[in-house]
Amino acid sequence: MSAEHTIEITGDSVDEAVAKGLAQLGVGPGDVIVEVLEEPSRGMFGLGARPARVRLKLFKPPAPPAAPPPPKPAAKPASKPVDKPAAKAVDRHADDKDAEDTPLLTEMVAVVDESQMVDDARAGRSILMELLGKMGLPEAVVTVYQPLDDDSGEDNPWLLDVSGPNLNALIGRRGETLASLQYITRLIASRELQHRANIVVDVSGYKSRRSQMLRDLANRMANQAVQSNRVVTLEPMPPYERRIIHLTLRSRDDVQTKSVGEGDSRKVTIVPKN
Amino acid sequence: MSALEDLVEYIAKSLVDDPSQVHVKRRHQGGTVILELHVAPEDAGRVIGKSGRVANAIRSLLRATPSNRDDRVVLKII
Repeated sequence: MSAEHTIEITGDSVDEAVAKGLAQLGVGPGDVIVEVLEEPSRGMFGLGARPARVRLKLFKPPAPPAAPPPPKPAAKPASKPVDKPAAKAVDRHADDKDAEDTPLLTEMVAVVDESQMVDDARAGRSILMELLGKMGLPEAVVTVYQPLDDDSGEDNPWLLDVSGPNLNALIGRRGETLASLQYITRLIASRELQHRANIVVDVSGYKSRRSQMLRDLANRMANQAVQSNRVVTLEPMPPYERRIIHLTLRSRDDVQTKSVGEGDSRKVTIVPKN
Repeated sequence: MSALEDLVEYIAKSLVDDPSQVHVKRRHQGGTVILELHVAPEDAGRVIGKSGRVANAIRSLLRATPSNRDDRVVLKII
């Protein structure tokens, strides 16, 4: 976390501002923390319109050799209604059924021999390769990682990591495309297997890097909350990312965490306790 | 036959009870590509999903498919 690099960017929409910022930094969406400073506002009759303002914080130096061009912003109108930032009350720590924490790839063992894989991993891998081929990414490689054997007594999922050139679009903004890829892969695999496929799909270690980064972020922001004795609000995150924040800070007795907001704009707040 | 139709067809056939009734048709309208996914009526729920979750996931994968970078693609389930 040494050479931290932060830029602020404006654009017509949050998506556009983020895309501009990524282009400027020459990094992918997995390499920055996005903080939305201001949602765009259309104003009325063209009056009082304000652009979206975001802050991008680099959490590691730009990828050394050929940093692939950042993905174009998803071709969809970014007309997210700005209507209700109305905070909804507290939720429990596990606020999503798909919630998961992804261990670091470096701690895991890659399995090459198909016969050493469980059915879930085998099925998931072949479905994933089929999807990637049809998505025009035949050069992408799927590596299967055996779950870590921790003492939780739970069956940890097998990890299928997709790697190859130009996969930023496969991750998508805030990992949304990756979430879809995992959802479809699991759905098809579960149907084939006739039980819930116990697999996690990742792209170039995005989730595992991101969860490490989120744990660091959680602790830094918690320290900040305690020092300033003020509530710190994080950027909106998908459910499993919020869960990582909640889990990381659960063991600290100087802060409490809560998720507020609805749907896509749901975010974690860190409240100092005293 | 482009990758886009292939992708939709593969996903749909993998999810329905009656793959023989899965058809994908491509239409153009202005700069927009419209993919029409036809499935047996009993299978519609499987390719749409609760609150359209499956359909939205398919749309999201279509957007990430390189051959489609410049076109807008609309997925209709019929």
